[in-house]
Amino acid sequence: MAEEKKGRALATKAAANIPKFVRGNLAATIKAKQEGKKVAYAYIADGQDEIMRAMDIVPAWGESFAGVCAAKRDAEKYLQKAESDNFSRSLCTYATCTIGFDMIREEMGVDVVPDAPWGGMARPDMILGSAQLLCDPRFKWPQATQHYLRDVPVFVGAMYYPPFDPKLNHHDQEKFYVKYCTEELRECVRFCEKHTGKKMDWDRLAEIVELSDKTWDIFIDAYELRKAIPTPMDTGDAMNTMVPLTFNLGTQEAYDFYKELYDELKEKIKKGEGVASPEKYRLIWAGGLPSWFALGDFQYFNSKGATFPVEVTYRGCEKIERLELPKTNDPLEHIAWRWVRYWTHWYDKARKRPGSLPKVERIIEYIEDYKCDGVVFHSAFSCRSWHAGIIHQAETLKKVYREIPILILEGDIVDISSYNEADTHNRIDAFIEAVDAYKQRMRR
Amino acid sequence: MVESKDLKGLAKVERYYNDYGVRTKELKANGKKIIGYVSALGPVEVLTAAGVVPFRLKGNVDEAITKGDAYMETIVCPFVRNVFDAAIKGRFDFMDGMVLPHLCDSLDRTSDVWRDYLNLPYFHFFNVPHVTDEPSIEFMKEILKLLISTLEDYTGNKITIDSLRQAILLHNENRRLMRSLYDLRKNNPPLISGTEMMKVLVAIMGIPVEESNELIKEIIEEVRSRKPSLDRQKKRIMLIGDQIDSVAITEAIEGSGAYLVMDDISIGSKMYYQDVDEEKEPILALAERYLRKLKIPTTFVDTGGTYQENLNARFGHMRKYIEEFDVDGVILLVYKYCDPYGFEVPAIKSYIEEIGVPVLYLEDEYSTSSLARMKTRIEAFLEMIA
Ligand code: SF4
Ligand code: SF4
Repeated sequence: MAEEKKGRALATKAAANIPKFVRGNLAATIKAKQEGKKVAYAYIADGQDEIMRAMDIVPAWGESFAGVCAAKRDAEKYLQKAESDNFSRSLCTYATCTIGFDMIREEMGVDVVPDAPWGGMARPDMILGSAQLLCDPRFKWPQATQHYLRDVPVFVGAMYYPPFDPKLNHHDQEKFYVKYCTEELRECVRFCEKHTGKKMDWDRLAEIVELSDKTWDIFIDAYELRKAIPTPMDTGDAMNTMVPLTFNLGTQEAYDFYKELYDELKEKIKKGEGVASPEKYRLIWAGGLPSWFALGDFQYFNSKGATFPVEVTYRGCEKIERLELPKTNDPLEHIAWRWVRYWTHWYDKARKRPGSLPKVERIIEYIEDYKCDGVVFHSAFSCRSWHAGIIHQAETLKKVYREIPILILEGDIVDISSYNEADTHNRIDAFIEAVDAYKQRMRR
Repeated sequence: MVESKDLKGLAKVERYYNDYGVRTKELKANGKKIIGYVSALGPVEVLTAAGVVPFRLKGNVDEAITKGDAYMETIVCPFVRNVFDAAIKGRFDFMDGMVLPHLCDSLDRTSDVWRDYLNLPYFHFFNVPHVTDEPSIEFMKEILKLLISTLEDYTGNKITIDSLRQAILLHNENRRLMRSLYDLRKNNPPLISGTEMMKVLVAIMGIPVEESNELIKEIIEEVRSRKPSLDRQKKRIMLIGDQIDSVAITEAIEGSGAYLVMDDISIGSKMYYQDVDEEKEPILALAERYLRKLKIPTTFVDTGGTYQENLNARFGHMRKYIEEFDVDGVILLVYKYCDPYGFEVPAIKSYIEEIGVPVLYLEDEYSTSSLARMKTRIEAFLEMIA
């Protein structure tokens, strides 16, 4: 996501452009203050991006800033600051990293913190959180932040989707879930109107929502080009190229970025350029946020002839037509349907294969479509959201699909103290041997 | 062996605490269905109305996790891991089903694990939202109705408005009785010790509400007739935390020379200090109680006013307890990997300290393995406030 200390060769030009994007997003928060625009602390996958864009609210993404701090190996001072006020080291380190940063900014009494990685984030005018099935910090983090930014108003909406239950038909529940999400988005609009003093321009919102749909589509079109053998782009790059989708949804730049990526990948495929040459093993990054301070590990995989043509992480969208969204003239309801269906559209498949799970169906689909020979997860200790349940997914995959080699790496997203490079590389070596043996077995 | 029915009051509590689930097993043998639950989100009224026995799961702080780690990551909160470990080892074999609430990530993200490996005849993930505005109340009503329909399908019994009302009355009575028992801790010295109270809290969470009501009446009578001791010198402590359900911690506090006089924990006052409105339509009344009245860190509260107003709305009850129970010091015990509590430690701590009451914050596992270290910290704290 950022220019990490240990250089990692980027296979695509598009990925090489990402640091500019990330820097731009951070700088925009600071520029906004000078221009009198409102800045909101925001959190990814909350469904509020388009509302902010339509109302000219500049988002300051805590997860992005914490990722930058981690990639630059400069997070420890913030983690320690948070710890000094009794935030446990076991809590989400994206959150504690930015809270530490906030504490320091408040103590300095400034809007912009000098010597913060890439200029840091500006002091926000509001905080937009969201309760959902995604994670507790999505509503606890805004609340904990307000402890230090007491005058800054906080909104926490909700964006739930029906949980998977093999015995219940989620289609029956979708309606009341979507109704709830829509109304919560409306609450969010009201909150933003109140704190910007501006009215929502609903036509503009509708246009932005349409642009987001197109961005979801072109993202998937581009990423599906990675099915090519050898793959022209792997997860190491995707941890960068996810930035526009994740942090700039609803902007023309995001759309254009994926259009360019699409063209670039087409070109690479035409020339037969792959991430690894020769490409010996194709792996799926089946879950878990990466260690931002150790993205070089993807290159280590590449050096063994292993590539990741596909990943679950940060593939936070789907081809719109596959979601079969009901028609609506209400852009908020459309956003709600889009998110609810994003999560539930693997449910029917999972129900058909006894003992399976939607998350596992998604992995199986990718293994098949992208012709993968092995599965890698990363378990980051400070985030339960993506990382609790990985053992179960791995076991279920073996049970309902096949005995494919699986590696579960352990570490953290931000906290470098959890990481040991030599151990990680040893485990990767052993895994590659297992994948090799598996491939040979499958050939027989 | 003495039958449970031959015991009364605190003697019965002792039996139920030491052999947790003993009464539930008897009920099961008599043909009752047992449904487990794990947090203050219950919802016990609905289970009672369904004609099943609500049985709250607990782990064992003296027991190491030996099987659970093969299924569940160690980054999950230690309470959840410990209870799951007990469940997978067959400790709750008498259980017919479970309602797992959406309390926190540790439960939400492991709900598939509970469902798929315990393989109970009934399992439902009760998707309680974290927000409390009007749309959330409407949503909460929907998910209560969904819970009700799954229970009806499973038991074959209809849950009627009348049966819900009946259950609400019984549980409100239960809460009223428990508050009377809590009142006996207001004395100085308190008439019932923190350790005895912990045993009561655990004992009654595994039995039907009607039996619980009878038992609490007996306990109140027994405790009221006690002659208070004359030692009024000890400091009065309140314990705050989530899933604390063992006397290990109460003994550590009281063994260090203090009275544990009040709690704000999940099996304690959080269960008993807010009633369901008996006048309102039952599903709405339940939605409001669980979403708006219950004081837990997993419901987001914002008044739209100042930060101080938000703090009052979130933690005002703690200050009220401090005043009513004449508390001298607070111990805030939070488990590692608990995001909901972990993120509010600085806010709770400063909110209480602002009124001149010191707070000892302890981060721990759900295990007695670190008890010696905790005890040292508690002793130092008591010395400091002496
Ligand atoms: S998903 Fe994980 S890393 Fe992201 S905010 Fe939530 S707990 Fe933190
Ligand atoms: S202690 Fe925290 S993490 Fe554990 S069950 Fe309670 S709220 Fe969840």
